[in-house]
Amino acid sequence: MVKIKVDEDACVGCGSCVEDCPNDVYELDKEHGKTVVVKEEDCMACLSCHEICPSQALEHNDIHVAKRLYIDRKVNRALNKII
Amino acid sequence: MEIDEVRGDFKPEIIPKETQGDIDDYEEALHVLMKFIGSMSSALEQVSGRGANAIVYQAGKRMGHEAGKLMEKTDDIEKALGEMGDILGKEFYFEMWKPSDQEGYTTENNGETSVKLLFMDCVVRQALRRTGLPQKGPLCYLLYGYMVGAVEEVMDIKGKLDIDHFGPNACLKTLTIKWGGK
Ligand code: SF4
Ligand code: SF4
Repeated sequence: MVKIKVDEDACVGCGSCVEDCPNDVYELDKEHGKTVVVKEEDCMACLSCHEICPSQALEHNDIHVAKRLYIDRKVNRALNKII
Repeated sequence: MEIDEVRGDFKPEIIPKETQGDIDDYEEALHVLMKFIGSMSSALEQVSGRGANAIVYQAGKRMGHEAGKLMEKTDDIEKALGEMGDILGKEFYFEMWKPSDQEGYTTENNGETSVKLLFMDCVVRQALRRTGLPQKGPLCYLLYGYMVGAVEEVMDIKGKLDIDHFGPNACLKTLTIKWGGK
């Protein structure tokens, strides 16, 4: 099952992940100014929260990692000559 | 420029045993295609605005209906989705998804049945990100149309697919089917 880790040193408490997560997985701990994981079981590993977090404070373990052919450097080098 | 040229005889009616090239060549070709498709999609949107989504949706739906003809007819949505999963394969790998507090995968509302689908691998998403285009644009409608077309064909119903959320690693969609034929 998915496991989410929040790097508390990195989190700046902006709340973007709380706003962005469609499944209300996070809540903002106002007292400490950090995000906390409250509904890990509803995480579908879309990784929108990773994309929005300004401080790369989030880590998801044991998830399906989607294919990302588009970041293959060798192919991109070859392609840049054509397009 | 030096290239590894393949020389031989060719007659149109003979299907060659192998088409040469290795997997890296195909990967490059796939990237070229991704860039082309991405550019086409943004041009389509530029020219026809939101109409682009409808055009691409129709194209996808037609493909879906064709694919659905090869599948076994059923009125069991989970079975239909299982068959579609086999056809879409690992390039469009999806699973049914539900929030933890919901009992089953399907929900009923006003004579309609809904099921949430989590698309984990998606060539369209790769093509969009490859080209720096936002998700949920016209290209995504190709897959919506495809899913709806295939489900309509297999189950003989009317369907629709809505996007709930899109992310870099997975997208959640709701497939709704209306019972009682098309
Ligand atoms: S991966 Fe998606 S569902 Fe999971 S916590 Fe992040 S935004 Fe929410
Ligand atoms: S988006 Fe990142 S920095 Fe902002 S609250 Fe969430 S984890 Fe912390």
